[in-house]
Amino acid sequence: MANNINKIDELFANYKKAGKTAFIPFISIGDPDIETSFDIAKALISNGADMIELGYPFSDPMADGKVIQKSYERALKNRVTMADAFNFVARLREISEIPVIFFTYYNPIFAYRTSEFADSASAAGIDGVLVVDLPPEESFELKQFIDKKNIDQIFLLAPTSDVSRIKLITSYAKGFVYYVSVTGVTGARRSLPAEMRSKVEEIKNIKDIPVGIGFGISSPEQAEEIKNYADAIIIGSKIIQFIENNLNDKKNIIKSISEFSCGIKSSLM
Amino acid sequence: MKYPDSRGHFGEYGGRYISETLMPAILELEEFYKKIKNNKEFKDELRSYLKNYAGRPTPLYYASRLSKLYSSNIYLKREDLNHTGSHKLNNTLGQALLAVKMGKKRIIAETGAGQHGVATATVCALFDIECEVFMGIKDIERQKQNVLRMEVLGAKVTPVSAGSSTLKDAMNEAIRDWITNVRTTYYMIGTAAGMHPYPEIVRDFQSVIGKEVLKELKQIDKFPDILIACIGGGSNAIGLFHPFLKYKEVKMYGVEAGGFGLGTGKHAASISGGKPGVLHGNKTYLLQDEDGRIKEAHSIAAGLDYPGVGPEHSFYADKKRIIYDTITDKEAIEAFKLLCRLEGIIPAIESSHAVAYLDKIKNEIKGKTVIVNLSGRGDKDMETIAGYISENKITK
Repeated sequence: MANNINKIDELFANYKKAGKTAFIPFISIGDPDIETSFDIAKALISNGADMIELGYPFSDPMADGKVIQKSYERALKNRVTMADAFNFVARLREISEIPVIFFTYYNPIFAYRTSEFADSASAAGIDGVLVVDLPPEESFELKQFIDKKNIDQIFLLAPTSDVSRIKLITSYAKGFVYYVSVTGVTGARRSLPAEMRSKVEEIKNIKDIPVGIGFGISSPEQAEEIKNYADAIIIGSKIIQFIENNLNDKKNIIKSISEFSCGIKSSLM
Repeated sequence: MKYPDSRGHFGEYGGRYISETLMPAILELEEFYKKIKNNKEFKDELRSYLKNYAGRPTPLYYASRLSKLYSSNIYLKREDLNHTGSHKLNNTLGQALLAVKMGKKRIIAETGAGQHGVATATVCALFDIECEVFMGIKDIERQKQNVLRMEVLGAKVTPVSAGSSTLKDAMNEAIRDWITNVRTTYYMIGTAAGMHPYPEIVRDFQSVIGKEVLKELKQIDKFPDILIACIGGGSNAIGLFHPFLKYKEVKMYGVEAGGFGLGTGKHAASISGGKPGVLHGNKTYLLQDEDGRIKEAHSIAAGLDYPGVGPEHSFYADKKRIIYDTITDKEAIEAFKLLCRLEGIIPAIESSHAVAYLDKIKNEIKGKTVIVNLSGRGDKDMETIAGYISENKITK
């Protein structure tokens, strides 16, 4: 199937024509448990998600704030394995064609063996992989395998990235560039830096590539502002807070996340 | 070939496995260090601080009673006599000078035993820089005295309660702080590990240990057969070993923390009991489960209680240039007692692992000249020792 168009690329091509901004929610596989996280994914898909980013829990998530750290801890208690993660995606694929981005740190992929990871990820139906601790300088060891499977390797850009970093990363990037809105770890924030817009414009001036914005976004108001210049918004911690706040009430997790997702989606319309 | 290579790799190990937010800071540090490391003014300034402030060179002491016990010639490199009580100051002095010259106003660090934390707090006082040290709550409990030392020196000690509440978690938290404050803050890593260029920088600053030993031996017309040092992240070991690597005839032993024993799974021996992986910015041997999650380490020595090791050690382990082996908590305590009674020196529990190795290779060292790196003093460990002695009902 390597000749097919990648689902992420296809979606951005269509959205560009339509002038639309995509909503990409993030959840951890296995938080609060595998079945509930699968139900959350389904709920997000039926309530406005354009793509979905699935976090594979790691023991030492150095780029993540407290909310996602705790989410990973809950998932790790459920002993989620890479096989569980692939099974999760394969089951999603039975009910939806939504583009799936797999988000993790490098060690779990390396421990699984990078080449086998690429094979299994492709077979399960993963469209993009974002490895937060794999900058372009170290990315070849994964790229050489997932390129062959037509899986997009998603790279980050940050407020600290200067022109030379932007050039380097956009030359590697596939699918879209994930712009980290703040110098900081993941986590919902009330206000976002003003430089965001000019930074996105700077990136797009250097290369015509879709730019998604994540880290810190938490409200429909922020989404409404960002849609004017970005191609996608990514929201993680805010969604996971609904899990944390309703750990003993799964119905309410699904209900509150569905409502939130609808709210974000309509702000992007 | 010189290591690390231009991409910061030691063979397949090392590298820069970090978030993009930090890449510009890492590249800036690499560039800056490259420019300054051979600068005469910088070297003279560092040398002056090492001599007049740290009290270097530290003595190379002939341990006559210990030598008699093992029928060999055993010399102790007395890093315990370095200012602040361990080798850690060699590195923090060098890095603080770098930070000052880079114009950084704030320094953060992680610490396990508290020795690197104290050495960091010390140089921050000396150079008038704001200092914050991240420390696991388990380590804060067992190294109370060092927490107090950091505080009187003016540092803020921030407790870390995530994960195993030890060194690896303190390092996670320091990296998160750095990601957040990277524009103003210098991250002072305490061991020869982490993302490039830290393993190289820390090794270079700690190599003063081995260079002094070479000089000190020359004065008495001796040359070593065997070098022994303990390994947590491995900074004192690489500091002693590195200047000797070119002498093929010198045998080197890196002693990892065997904890309750390799077979129990409760240890901190990343090379002897782990496998390669990626953590804290570098590829290296790690303690991990089959799904690539990092396992908690265990050692009675807080300074060795880390599930990884510097990438240069991983490299020389595979090449078999340095031999890595383990010493258990129990063996380290016995060696601690031995050195106290035979030589009147109270070693750090970390360094006691290196001393303990003498007994493990007692047949091999007969008649040989052996250097043991006494990386730190044991004053900080008195509570731990007292606790171990009463718990295990052994004699003092």
